[in-house]
Amino acid sequence: MQNMIQSRDVGSVILRVLKWVLLIALAIYTIFPLLWLFVTALKTNAEYFQSPFSFPKTPQWHNFADAFVSAGMGRQIINSIVVAFGAVIINLLLSGMAAYAISRYRFRAREAIFMAISLGVMIPLNAFMIPYYRMYSTLHLLDSHIGLILLYASINLPMSIFIIRGFMDTFPTELEEAANIDGLGFFGRFFHMVLPLTKNGFVTAGTFAFITCWNEFVYANLMLNTAAKRTIQTGVRWFTNEFTTDYVRLYAAICVAIAPSLAIYFLFQEQVISGLTVGAVKG
Amino acid sequence: MYLRKEDRWKLLVFLLPAVVLFIAYFLYPLIYVIVMSFYKWDAFHPPEYRGFANYAALFKDLTFRRALGNNLTWAGVDMAIKVPLAMMMALILSKKIRGWKFFRTVYFLPQVISGIAMAAMWSAVYNLDYGLLNGVVKLFGGQPVNWLGNVKVAFICVIAYGLLYIGYFMVIMMAEITGIDTTYYEAAAIDGATNLQTDIHITIPMIRSSLATCITLAAVFGLRAFEQVYLLTEGGPANRTMTMVLFIYKKMNANVYGTANAAAVLLIIMGILVMSLVRKIVAGKD
Repeated sequence: MQNMIQSRDVGSVILRVLKWVLLIALAIYTIFPLLWLFVTALKTNAEYFQSPFSFPKTPQWHNFADAFVSAGMGRQIINSIVVAFGAVIINLLLSGMAAYAISRYRFRAREAIFMAISLGVMIPLNAFMIPYYRMYSTLHLLDSHIGLILLYASINLPMSIFIIRGFMDTFPTELEEAANIDGLGFFGRFFHMVLPLTKNGFVTAGTFAFITCWNEFVYANLMLNTAAKRTIQTGVRWFTNEFTTDYVRLYAAICVAIAPSLAIYFLFQEQVISGLTVGAVKG
Repeated sequence: MYLRKEDRWKLLVFLLPAVVLFIAYFLYPLIYVIVMSFYKWDAFHPPEYRGFANYAALFKDLTFRRALGNNLTWAGVDMAIKVPLAMMMALILSKKIRGWKFFRTVYFLPQVISGIAMAAMWSAVYNLDYGLLNGVVKLFGGQPVNWLGNVKVAFICVIAYGLLYIGYFMVIMMAEITGIDTTYYEAAAIDGATNLQTDIHITIPMIRSSLATCITLAAVFGLRAFEQVYLLTEGGPANRTMTMVLFIYKKMNANVYGTANAAAVLLIIMGILVMSLVRKIVAGKD
């Protein structure tokens, strides 16, 4: 008996040690390459060639400014903001309207709509490179931010409708009936009651759509040609080809490209985590 | 549900824009790739009906077979290693151990960085002459390895770096663990169950639906992989890191549209199959 208890204690101590080793190892694995990239971006190329591990004698903060200017990253970040916000606004407005219609009215086509939504979530959209490209070349939407905004707004519709509809279904219809008796019309009820009271659904769907749009690479890369129109993600692809021998500037540029995502993450952490997770679980 | 008669058409108007965009961006392209996958078609001649010839050619094409094999391997490895590891960490962090919020923040971090920027960072790690990894190898007196140019290790390197980014799956499972009724655990505690026993007999069976979600997502991400190989290797060396999406992209740029569309159709079928299969399994168990 005594022996059994002892061996159980030893076992639990070993388990606990293993647990913490694993926890810390995974954390280091995630953080270390990022920190290394950042520290290296503060060196001179000569220092970097000498050793990949040393710290810079004097931090070369101007590397970031150099990279930012020579890679045209200010422009790219603005482009990304325009495209992502434009797409999310259109997406949320249309998803909200569609979700309201689906939630409030029993169509004969309801089943077909649910099928369409789940089909839209399941299809690997990269398979549509050719039809999208041909369609956009016919419509003269290639190399245009409007084209990309429409594309992003549309491909995120199924997921957004799915998330927002969940919130609208739980919205008490008695409130709407009361407002109707008080003389509030259809659009008044939608814009002044339903939208404000289901705004959590819009925030969740919007967070998911925004991060998807901000990080999207395949179609931005396919559709945009002009340097001045590049988004930050296609910029990354461009300067990894361009700065091949100027390592520290390349690394500084990658840091600058990552920075906005990290800033949003640290500012709105709970929102970002729950927004991305709800989308995945419901889809 | 209460609605005035004259409001009904307004609801249809509300639905219309989404329906139009759905037709333009989902239905039309879907029909398009299916139909055009039966044609031989380049940029210079009119399309010519070929039946299943494009599909037959695909399965004989060694590059496509390599791509298909790589995607399946990718999906399999992520399902077999990433999901269980994520589950383990979810079980650990759900006990609200010291610093659990810190660890969750860190593990989830790669999820907010774009795939292309992540790949760019890892190209610096794998760099032959001055990369971090070869720096470590030299530190221990080894010869630098051409990680991304060597046919033996290139594909492993491309898959490997994302394998330990478990935050997304972990958070999905943590959300379901948090929702489990605490009375189960109280009963288990009275019976003197250890943590490990509670995890195995209570928690894991209770989170099977999020487990299934993660397995599906792992499979889908494995099938869709593109940015990693596009930036790090462009499919090389000797097609060792080719994937289906990269294959479609390359065939499209070479104006071989029929073949590209046939590959796209196979990708769509595999994606839908995987997702509906896992959904069925989950629904059947509940």
